[in-house]
Amino acid sequence: MKCTATIDTREVEELYVNIDPIQAGGRLTVDAQKAAIAYSDGYSVCDNCLKPFRLDYINKPPIAEFHRDCAEWLNMDAVRLVPGARRGFQAVASSLVEKGDPVLLTALSHYTEFASLEQAGADIHEVPKDDRNHITAENTAARIEEVTREAGKAPSLLFVEHVDYQYGNVHEIAEIAKVAHQYDIPVLLNGAYSVGIMPVDGKALGVDFIIGSGHKSMAAPAPSGIVATTHEYENIVFRTTQAKGDITGRTFGIKEVEMMGCTLMGVTAVGLVASFPAVKERVLHWDREVENANRVVDALCAIEGTRVESDMPREHTLTRINTLDSFDMVAKTHKKKGFFLSQSLKKKGIIGVIPGSTRVWKYNTYGLTDAQIAHVCRAFQDIAQENGLNVQ
Amino acid sequence: MHEKKRNRQVKQMSRRAVDALFQALYLLTDIRFLLRETAPDHELDDEQKVRAGKAIEKLKKQVTILEEELS
Repeated sequence: MKCTATIDTREVEELYVNIDPIQAGGRLTVDAQKAAIAYSDGYSVCDNCLKPFRLDYINKPPIAEFHRDCAEWLNMDAVRLVPGARRGFQAVASSLVEKGDPVLLTALSHYTEFASLEQAGADIHEVPKDDRNHITAENTAARIEEVTREAGKAPSLLFVEHVDYQYGNVHEIAEIAKVAHQYDIPVLLNGAYSVGIMPVDGKALGVDFIIGSGHKSMAAPAPSGIVATTHEYENIVFRTTQAKGDITGRTFGIKEVEMMGCTLMGVTAVGLVASFPAVKERVLHWDREVENANRVVDALCAIEGTRVESDMPREHTLTRINTLDSFDMVAKTHKKKGFFLSQSLKKKGIIGVIPGSTRVWKYNTYGLTDAQIAHVCRAFQDIAQENGLNVQ
Repeated sequence: MHEKKRNRQVKQMSRRAVDALFQALYLLTDIRFLLRETAPDHELDDEQKVRAGKAIEKLKKQVTILEEELS
């Protein structure tokens, strides 16, 4: 079905169970979908923007209230909307890192973390992962010592992932932050896979910044996200412009430099705000999501030759699976080669596994109903049996 | 602009039709989400059938209003 003359209607969420690893937490809530209908025009949230003319002061729709509530919800002191987590990384890196400063991120960091630090001119170093694919406080401390020795000064910033995108493992953030603070290194938590789907408490974790992704985990349109910080850093990262036109003498009030004034001015902002009540509610049911993730993992592991590369039992819904000795064995002789798996899944109403993947791949079961979880479990096992694999 | 004057202008532009339009879109969105939560088979349980039925009934009323206002 066509949406316009040249654009297909996107109907995958209505027709299929979508287990795409990066899409699950960003599916809109029904309220966000309705708000998106009403606020689809460009500057739609700006109808009631009054002095001092800034996004986080708008009361109708309740964007100002969202800023206050979101900070409280994360147990942080200040929040701003940003066009995606990457713009949050960029704002913090740009504010705290001087050219040539050593900085740390991790062996499981996303490329946008690297890019934001590169843009700031940082001297970038990684904290290695351990044998369990975890970033540990011990490795962090060792790496801080090494980098400080080599650079002659301590790193000016540490980026660490609450849940990494490669394995979906949950890392020991409180311990890592404690170590970093012993060296006076501020800590940025990449919460792209945690903020909005599982409980996150900034003070309990002891981090200085929390970055969330609206379109990855807060049921919001893309590109959207949040950057949260403490009183200690809010006047640094959210500093207002001091620029003045040398001919016109113009100044620009309380516009924030790193935010480039206002950030999300339409459907992205209102979608995130509209989903927020449901998002706050859904994180309270994280245990049910983890339980469902383990049901699917158990079903997959019952297929002979299949193993999970992420932590077991699962503590998150994003999972990395190794099917080299199961589905990939089938692919070697199947007429559709590696595409047989995604095509077989699609026939059973499931999408989201990268076409051609039968070796090591990822999926995410977040937000599926019990019936959909059962359907996914059954589908994987049926496909295995239909292709001669043993299912215990 | 005074509230009363603004309301009069809104009325002239058929507030009723605009309300019906958005109400219909929101009801369709409720139905869309029923399709999402029951994908891929769309086998609705009793509670979901009741929800679908109510949404469709309300939708018909909004379409009737649109017909009245715009024809």
